[in-house]
Amino acid sequence: MANPAPASTKGIAITEHRLANGLRVVLSEDHLTPVAAVCLWYDVGSRHEVKGRTGLAHLFEHLMFQGSANVSNNGHFELVQGAGGSLNGTTSFERTNYFETMPTHQLELALWLEADRMGSLLAALDDASMENQRDVVKNERRQRYDNVPYGTAFEKLTRLSYPEGHPYHHTPIGSMADLDAATLEDARAFFRTYYAPNNAVLSIVGDFDAEQAVAWVEKYFGSIPAHDGKQPPRDGTLPEVIGQEIRELVEEEVPSRALMSAYRLPHDGTREADAVDLALTVLGSGESSRLYNRLVRRDRTAVSAGFGMLRLSGAPSLGWLDVKTSGEATIEQIESAVDEELARFAAEGPTPQELERAQAQIEREWLDRLTTVSGRADELCRFAVLFGDPNLVNDALAKVLDVTAEEVRAVAAARLRPDNRAVLVYEPLATADADSDNAEEDAA
Amino acid sequence: MSTFVPTMTFHPQPQPGTPTPWAFPAPTRSVLANGLTVLHCNRPGQQLVAVDVLVDAPLAAEPTELEGVATVLARALNEGTDTLTAEEFAGELERAGATLDANADHPCIRVALEVPVSRLERGLTLLADALRSPALPEDEIERLVANRLDEIVHEQANPARRAAKALHAELFDSADRLSRPRAGSAESVKRIDRAAVKAFYDAHVRPSTASVVVVGDLTGVDLPALLESTLGSWSGDRAEPSKAAPVTADDSARVVIVDRPGAVQTQLLIGRIGPDRHDPAWAAQVLGTYCLGGTLTSRLDKVLREEKGYTYGVRAFAQPLRSAADGSGRALLAISGSVDTASTAPALADTWTILRTLAAEGLTDAEREEAVQYLVGVAPLRYETAGSVASTLADQVEQHLADDFQAEVYRQMAVLSTQAATDAVVSGFLPERLVTVLVGDASVIGEQVRELGIGEVTVISS
Repeated sequence: MANPAPASTKGIAITEHRLANGLRVVLSEDHLTPVAAVCLWYDVGSRHEVKGRTGLAHLFEHLMFQGSANVSNNGHFELVQGAGGSLNGTTSFERTNYFETMPTHQLELALWLEADRMGSLLAALDDASMENQRDVVKNERRQRYDNVPYGTAFEKLTRLSYPEGHPYHHTPIGSMADLDAATLEDARAFFRTYYAPNNAVLSIVGDFDAEQAVAWVEKYFGSIPAHDGKQPPRDGTLPEVIGQEIRELVEEEVPSRALMSAYRLPHDGTREADAVDLALTVLGSGESSRLYNRLVRRDRTAVSAGFGMLRLSGAPSLGWLDVKTSGEATIEQIESAVDEELARFAAEGPTPQELERAQAQIEREWLDRLTTVSGRADELCRFAVLFGDPNLVNDALAKVLDVTAEEVRAVAAARLRPDNRAVLVYEPLATADADSDNAEEDAA
Repeated sequence: MSTFVPTMTFHPQPQPGTPTPWAFPAPTRSVLANGLTVLHCNRPGQQLVAVDVLVDAPLAAEPTELEGVATVLARALNEGTDTLTAEEFAGELERAGATLDANADHPCIRVALEVPVSRLERGLTLLADALRSPALPEDEIERLVANRLDEIVHEQANPARRAAKALHAELFDSADRLSRPRAGSAESVKRIDRAAVKAFYDAHVRPSTASVVVVGDLTGVDLPALLESTLGSWSGDRAEPSKAAPVTADDSARVVIVDRPGAVQTQLLIGRIGPDRHDPAWAAQVLGTYCLGGTLTSRLDKVLREEKGYTYGVRAFAQPLRSAADGSGRALLAISGSVDTASTAPALADTWTILRTLAAEGLTDAEREEAVQYLVGVAPLRYETAGSVASTLADQVEQHLADDFQAEVYRQMAVLSTQAATDAVVSGFLPERLVTVLVGDASVIGEQVRELGIGEVTVISS
């Protein structure tokens, strides 16, 4: 039997508009469920931060929930939840997003709220909010990174993978010292620089009338002035391969030895990025992957073994290997098995069955992301902000399915090699699970 | 301070339009020839179909010396069948773009398949094979046992998991299965082998006491025929459904500190037992508990997070433990979160003040109104995907509730009084009945916590 494709990959109907102040608007109607998702991407993330102010983009995102000219402190949460909606915001390397999913009849409220803070946040922002959210974010950092085993692994790997001074050298959560150093004036300057209609994309997906939605967007956002204070982020381009293995040993109270490596990969949006995504899926995603079969099933040296991919458009993407050892297995055993598997894959590439499975897995993940209106709204913003055209969402899956086995082999041979990785080795100090592949931070 | 004068044009806050009526979907019931109970629900547009199977193999049925055997069995269902090796089985699932997750909990083993509707038949065939004739290969069982032993070490190091383990051990009677880890302890897991797993399978896995929930876009799918040709091939003898024993616990106030020297935060888990979903006050309790700690504008976070900055967030919740048709079941009521070490005692003091103020003054009508608007209004969103609908229907089956239970909760909630919500949350979170577990640095927090007078303090090592 053939491998029939899921039916709903047929495409999302999209219309686009642009207000005079530069705000891009992307709409997609879907009347199956009486809900509508609003998503707003600001083209600013931790890569725009400067030395000494890491974590500012994320701290600022928290401040966006502290009220604006017509909205009280925490009014966003009160009003949206009180209307039967859900909301949040997240900050990553490359963007900051804010989103509300509303029952259809409350869509206008979400637009009014987003417009109010885009146009008037500074009318409400004060020291009390700043001091309070600084403490909240520091506790977020402790909870998600500092107080859990291996919690700072991602931060360490990022630091090793992107050189000092590179815009992706630090992660969105920032350092405690920089969080302490941020001032109210920093936050105001950040808002004035990056929070402008011409630096944002607004998407609305779900059960609404497009003409009505455009009229509301024009009404609420249309008078917010554009401004041009934004400097482009520092150049994130790096050579295709690192050129030598970078290594760090961490001796901490962790429950078991662990090997984590980050490989430098092609930029998101390229055919090579899709090819390497397939390679990582064959090698390290799910229980039929090569590394799982080798390390967990056959050698029994690992409890878990897998690859993840952090797609980045403004710098090389990261392919992240995470292996936790089983019993007394050593890092040397794990590492030589991993290198053997990578070398074999670089020589032979995926089998036709492996490629088919990897493509089916990616297809399912894609379907999963597009199954909700909020997931679709986020993807529309992603393609509009990072690649200039929301319609690219409709070709994304076909591109992955078009990649050949030889392309997968070639990119693995070029990138998944020892001289193109940063390696983090954990050795337990005494006795001491939480993985932290969090490339983004939430407001709540 | 300079003032900022926005130049945008402001408009009044918009008023809502007319709500579109929405109700929690009603499932259709049927029974296959092999006795398997089927609930299904058509959700147009949901191309990923969710299939949840409930197997009547409760943790209380595990032999005490082999606790963890249900978990190992659940995990072994993914490790091959009479026709496929473990690796082949995993490969076939992935080729179908499907996922199959099985886990054992107090009420039953739940096996969840998610698959694109275009490959539903293949997904159901694999699911049926896993249930009907799992290979339970000796070497894979050995590996799953070893993995579980490794996992215990990781759980012990995770503050939230460690807190849950300590609370269960403290709160429940030591004879109650609830007092011990769901997936077994190192001592019991070590004893598990293929024979034990096979015996547990033979004793408890059969279609006549199982149910399956199927939700997704089933337009054009001949579901009865599809189910008969897949899950219908699963056979087994008839048996009486298991009966849940009453929950036995002691929730008199006391404090356990799990010592983690040098911890930068303290993990809090404050709990007791309370009514489950069979209680007439369940909807009121959900409403009241949301007002106490459901979101960052609830009473706890309003102070602990948004005023004091002690935490990234603290939540109050109710989690059914074991339920029975006669209403003798119970839920865990709890408050959970983490605070920086120095703020531990102040955060606890504020929590107790919030609970006492709530008991003295009650909820306000505005709080009740906002909570109802959220909990009822968010339902269409919460149940947008097939997986979320299937999961709630499966919870209802597992807890012996009527098929329209969730729909009824929404109807009740919309008309509940503020007083009813107050009464339910106040009697649920009585300060003198809260067992407090703190995973943190005892040398820093111990003395201050003792001075709070919220219960006798015991320190245990992590």
